Amino acid sequence: MDKIKLRQICFLFAGMMPLTKMIVYPAMLAYQAKNDLLLAAFGNFLLEGAVIALVMFLASRTDCTFFDLLQNTFGKIGAKIIYGLFAAFFLFSAILPVLEQKAFVLQVFYENVPSFLSFAPFFAVSFFASVKGFKSIGRAADLALPVTAISLAVILLLSLPQAEFSALLPVGGAGAKGIFSGSLYGLNWYTDCLYPLFFLGHFKYEKHGAAKVMLAYAAGTAVVLLFLTVFYGIFSDIALRQINTIAQISKYTTAYTTLGRIDLFFIFAAALPLVFYLCVPIQMCVHCIRKIAPACNPVFPAAAVNGAMLLAAIFLNYSFFEVQTLFTQKLWWVFALFCYAVPILSLLLKRGKGERHE
Amino acid sequence: MHCSRGGRPRLIAAGVFLFSADILQTIFAAPTNGAAFPILAHERQFFAQTCNVEKINNSQKETKPRSSGFSDRLARNVQKVKELLPAEDILVYSFCAKDGTECAAVYADGITDKELLGQLTAKPLSLAPAPKSAEEAEKLLLFPESRQAEDMQEAVSEILSGNPALFIDGIAAAIVLGTKKVALRAVTEPQTAITVKGPREGFIEDVKTNMGLVRRRLKTPDLRFESIVVGRRSKTVVCIAYLHGIADEKVIEEIRCRIRAIDIDGVPDSSYIGQFLAKKPYSLFKQVGTTEKPDILCAKMLEGRVGILCDGSPIALTLPYMLSEDFQSSQDYFVSPYRASVSRALRWIAVAAALFLPAFYVAAQLFKLQLLPFGLLLTVSGGIRDLPLSPSLEMFLLLLILEILIEASVRMPKYVALALSVIGALVLGDTAVKAGLVSSSAIIIVALSGISAYTVPDLTGTLSVVRIAYLLVAGSIGTYGIILLTALILYYLVTSDSYGTPLLAPFSPLIRRDLRDSVFKADIYALSERPAVFRPRNKRRLKVENRT
Repeated sequence: MDKIKLRQICFLFAGMMPLTKMIVYPAMLAYQAKNDLLLAAFGNFLLEGAVIALVMFLASRTDCTFFDLLQNTFGKIGAKIIYGLFAAFFLFSAILPVLEQKAFVLQVFYENVPSFLSFAPFFAVSFFASVKGFKSIGRAADLALPVTAISLAVILLLSLPQAEFSALLPVGGAGAKGIFSGSLYGLNWYTDCLYPLFFLGHFKYEKHGAAKVMLAYAAGTAVVLLFLTVFYGIFSDIALRQINTIAQISKYTTAYTTLGRIDLFFIFAAALPLVFYLCVPIQMCVHCIRKIAPACNPVFPAAAVNGAMLLAAIFLNYSFFEVQTLFTQKLWWVFALFCYAVPILSLLLKRGKGERHE
Repeated sequence: MHCSRGGRPRLIAAGVFLFSADILQTIFAAPTNGAAFPILAHERQFFAQTCNVEKINNSQKETKPRSSGFSDRLARNVQKVKELLPAEDILVYSFCAKDGTECAAVYADGITDKELLGQLTAKPLSLAPAPKSAEEAEKLLLFPESRQAEDMQEAVSEILSGNPALFIDGIAAAIVLGTKKVALRAVTEPQTAITVKGPREGFIEDVKTNMGLVRRRLKTPDLRFESIVVGRRSKTVVCIAYLHGIADEKVIEEIRCRIRAIDIDGVPDSSYIGQFLAKKPYSLFKQVGTTEKPDILCAKMLEGRVGILCDGSPIALTLPYMLSEDFQSSQDYFVSPYRASVSRALRWIAVAAALFLPAFYVAAQLFKLQLLPFGLLLTVSGGIRDLPLSPSLEMFLLLLILEILIEASVRMPKYVALALSVIGALVLGDTAVKAGLVSSSAIIIVALSGISAYTVPDLTGTLSVVRIAYLLVAGSIGTYGIILLTALILYYLVTSDSYGTPLLAPFSPLIRRDLRDSVFKADIYALSERPAVFRPRNKRRLKVENRT
């Protein structure tokens, strides 16, 4: 139930991760870093990539799960406390993507003003996925990769001819402060590096496993950077106003041609991997709770977590920008701590019995 | 070897017998070849009882202990049988031997070949003095299939199976005569799996004929049949067929256990067994593969699947099951790989159309008009302007009519089919549009969706239900509802498996090698290995070195 394959982790990074950075993130980045958005994003990718590389290095050295490593070092109670903190973090980190995707759905999928109820069934899907464990994450990633690849390829192909790449010049025009703030305030979109840490011990490390994962991550990075390039090339100074970027980027090419908004089909198709990826932090949260209370039927933590997320989404229904500001500009250190500091520190954990000697 | 079933019942019986003999010889000979054939004692006994194995191989015959259930007085034996079988179709055929000794054959009317009984039993006995023992009687009879019943219960059971019990005055035994006569239909092409190119034989309702059809295609000692009797009252033979050394032993064992655990009074069809074999019997999606064609069953067994044949049913079950196998047709293997790949791609597209077209049509009208090209939008909006029904209700009504028409056309006698077509096409279609009840574009969508669902006949039932579910979410939540329902279905499918084989394999989990025979079909040399998803013990299917 909680097994995942190395290939599926690769697909997670190559096929699902890029899409999450194509909704609000490009507009935020354009606001902070202007034409240097690529540099700001690249900085984040480098940092996240380095953390993933370290976690994969750890995976090559041990067969233990992250919980086992914590248990070896801090004892069972300590491990459970840390897992409790991570459960809270995953719940916390899922709030902004949920609100982001909710806004995306309500604005892009409907011409009339839809009710919140249009998005609410997402939590039923997420509940089902949460009960199924890591297996569902991996297998969903298998299906998501071709959908993402085709959707993005079409969307980029439709929008590429409209791009004026000179808009990205001069390099460094936004200054170091703009680039740095772009990177710093974008931290909450770079929580993916935490997932391999929790997959530890749940996948079989293969030869060159780290290289494969890094290659997949590099592919995902390349897609996002290409997307950002095209995005800024098309919208330039008005890029910061283009929220729901993935739905905006190809609109000049195809709006009301004889084919209709054909790009919408691919945007809708891309929404499927987005649903899968949005479930991941919620699934992780449920996983952590199940580790804390292993005897508990997975249905109960899944119901509790999804219920909590539903309530959060209802209460914060009209507060996306406030939440975004809070998360990106005030609470960036929480993301830095959990997503970067902890995985790096996990290298120091005792590896214990499951240690692999190669 | 396979006889026509027109007007020669004796030949039919002989033909069936020879097939049975061939099959059973292989089964029973297997342990002597060194392979541990896991047939159980009671299964062996069943075969021995129903198929008269002792006569086939006299060297294997064992002397059975005399039972106390029989009397040496004929009248008492016949009376006992009549007490146990009071039904009026149980008849007694009385005759005398040359020396005047009374003999009687008790048989079930309608399932016993009376001509054969008279020719091969009554005639030789009436021409010779009565035998003094059962062994002598067996030698005297010219019958290839005869044996002594172990006890009265067994004799009764055989009578009910169509094999008469012969009693001779002075002998405390019953000789079972294998004159079972079952009305069988011809081996014809099944209506549900018609191919333009390829074999046209289909299974029939007789399990032994079906076993023979499989044996004819797989003449290997590795082909194993294991029969289990299921049904307290029906005593239906359920036969597990697999290729030893290829099929996964764990799967075979699990199937065996599940079939043995069935405790039901009757098994009218293999679908009953299918429900017991399904791990999620309440699932909307199929859990067990089905086929009516022996060539498909053999191909699946060669891939590592296990077949299950059920007496009384022309539909064989196959396990493990994958969703993608329903998109394969036997014809794909007899045409060029390009043509086969195009056909398969069409089937996938058709299934997507069957599922999503009505839902997207409704969602586009209600929530996202931009989905429709401008010209089409004008046409659609012109068509729906004065409709009294909402788009979702209109579509739901049309789908309901479609389902009713399909349901009626399946059950309706052929001579009223024309009337049904007229009513369906003209009255419900054309007139409904003219009356302004439904739009013509909605009818086109429903018709296309309905036809598309039949490109994969094995999934039609599932598709109909899922299509309604999509329509409901599209009408209430819109396009995002369609996406969410798709995600939910995919989550369900990716986490479901059939005897250890993921339902969505080879797509999820991705098995690259097995993709060669999935959405597209590679050439035969590329399919040199059996599908990895079934974990076959013998992986190699084709020796590519011999390629010319």
